[in-house]
Amino acid sequence: MASPGVPQRTRSNNEGEYGPRPQLQVGIGRAIAHHGELLQGVFEGDDDHLHRGLVTLPLPIQQVIATFWPRQDDPIRTRPRNRPKAARAVALTLKHLGFEHWGGDLTIESGISIGYGYGSSTADVVAAIRAIAAASSVVLCRSTICRLAIAAEEASDAIVYGDQAVLFAHREGTCLEHFGGALPPLLVVGFRDGSSAQIDTLRLPRVQYSSEEIQLFKVLRALVFRSVREQNPHMLGRVATTSAEISQRHLPKPHWEAVSRLAAELGALGVQVAHSGTLFGILLDPDKSGAAATAARLAKTVKREGFKDVQTFALNAEGTWLP
Amino acid sequence: MSGAGDYLRIFETPRFARLAPNLYAACFSLMKLMPARFMVDRAEASGHLKRGGSIIETTSGTFGMAMAMIAAERSYDLKLVTSTSLTDPKFTRRLERLGATVIAIDDPTGDGNQRGRLDYLQQTLQQNPETYWPRQYDSPENRLAYARLAEMVIRSFGQIDCLVGCVGTGGSLCGTGGFLREMFPHLRMIGVDTHRSVLFGQPVGKRLLRGLGNSVLPANVRHEMVDEVHWVGALPAYAMAHALFRHHGIFMGPTSGAAALVASWFAYNNPDAATIVIMPDEGHRHADTAYDDQWLASLSGWTVSIPAEPTRIEQIRPADETTWTSFAWNRQTLDAVLASQAHPKTDSTLPVKPDA
Repeated sequence: MASPGVPQRTRSNNEGEYGPRPQLQVGIGRAIAHHGELLQGVFEGDDDHLHRGLVTLPLPIQQVIATFWPRQDDPIRTRPRNRPKAARAVALTLKHLGFEHWGGDLTIESGISIGYGYGSSTADVVAAIRAIAAASSVVLCRSTICRLAIAAEEASDAIVYGDQAVLFAHREGTCLEHFGGALPPLLVVGFRDGSSAQIDTLRLPRVQYSSEEIQLFKVLRALVFRSVREQNPHMLGRVATTSAEISQRHLPKPHWEAVSRLAAELGALGVQVAHSGTLFGILLDPDKSGAAATAARLAKTVKREGFKDVQTFALNAEGTWLP
Repeated sequence: MSGAGDYLRIFETPRFARLAPNLYAACFSLMKLMPARFMVDRAEASGHLKRGGSIIETTSGTFGMAMAMIAAERSYDLKLVTSTSLTDPKFTRRLERLGATVIAIDDPTGDGNQRGRLDYLQQTLQQNPETYWPRQYDSPENRLAYARLAEMVIRSFGQIDCLVGCVGTGGSLCGTGGFLREMFPHLRMIGVDTHRSVLFGQPVGKRLLRGLGNSVLPANVRHEMVDEVHWVGALPAYAMAHALFRHHGIFMGPTSGAAALVASWFAYNNPDAATIVIMPDEGHRHADTAYDDQWLASLSGWTVSIPAEPTRIEQIRPADETTWTSFAWNRQTLDAVLASQAHPKTDSTLPVKPDA
């Protein structure tokens, strides 16, 4: 018997046994959006095989809060209603934690636009999994959350890892490489083109990369590693631009030339995109003097050019960054 | 992948040595394993090379050794086509012990007879169309393989401003440099060649420094990527190889000496430029020549002191084996440079002594 006040640790085995617990409580989980990718391609895993993978650009200013009200022997309901992936995530997580006979209501309050590549669906799923974990007072590893998220929605992204830089196999839910720290400081002016077409990521054809591109991905991956180690945003800007250029050859985005020209004129670090969405982000160095003013000017320009949802956000940069 | 396969992958990985505060050397035991393994992997993946299949290549040097090691480990039949002027009995015995068949084509002029070797190779391919020919001279895979070196360099050192490397097929310099320049567009690329190699516009002739330069022009030499070309004679290359061993304990072949000579000069004169030099193989094969005092004493002009700087030339022409020359190539095509050479400016700085 553990003494009172000493935390008890129980671990799952493969069957998902977390030890006896009397019942579930109300649980809250959060998850952030992302603003597309800094890098996307195919990468060698430890098994020497190629895996599709990406480095996500987190968008911490948009998030989802999921609240779970558990009820024994009840079905799972979501509010809003049409959130089947989140409902599946609730069911899978309850089962994983040994609460098969439980259901309840999951309320999703999302500040994330759907269908433009902000990862709203993954955020719903991850927030739901975290809400169930909180409801059962269990801490889940990030790798477990990813595995459950993949089971719930086929492909995921790396928002579970927050600002930690990882190369994430988004169709498998595993990390190909943890780069050993947070992404370097970045100031991003993000926006999307005016097209109303919403994108279903899983319906897009899988890109077939050339051997030259596959080799280049090795080098890009190395530069992400280095940019994290040195906390060097310039290197990450170069990675993002090169990755976006490769993507442009396969899934061309309208307005790409105009956006790259704008970034070049400003002396920006680079341009990132949502590889399967309509997002662009112009990357700036937050530690360069006048960065906030440059961002404000840029935001005005892109609005004038007709881009939508213009938002400025910072990553791992000290200070107040007002949109 | 088998354990032995992992061994070769590790064997192809360079060790990095700091030669100066801003100069790192990628020291390979056998650099050519990197393209050889990549090409065989690709040929297996594409179905071109089947289990128990045959490989043929024209090589007199380390690419053959690399292929022979891979062929031995993966049970392929390997034919290597070389020329009588280039055979080195000890090296040939090593290749044969690995199971390779070495065919030496007659070479009356002593320039390697690459044409004769290619003719023989084509005949063999016609008779045995299933045979895999890696084509290290012209296959873009030779260059692509060096993404792995660029990756290792970036992981170890971050931003690179200058890359110095020997040119033979063009694979290592143009491959590594191409990938590094994708990340660092300002990257300066310096090619190291030797006198009487045709790669950068000199007339072909007998070369004392083996494993550097070429008597034919491979497609993997991308002239328009190169900022600067240096022609290093055999003697300063030997002297620099000795210095690498004496001062750093790094036992490399003479071509590495040539590359290190150019790289040290550049790094010293550009202290803010992070510089990488590729050093392709070790000194063991040269124990009876470049590292043998008696053999060296038989060379006219030995001993030499290590030159402090190259002789800058504007008119491309061969020089003797004691000389180190350089030319501002400025990322031009070979044709553009040759065209401008047809209308030479005056150039009286170069001491030229016809080579015996």
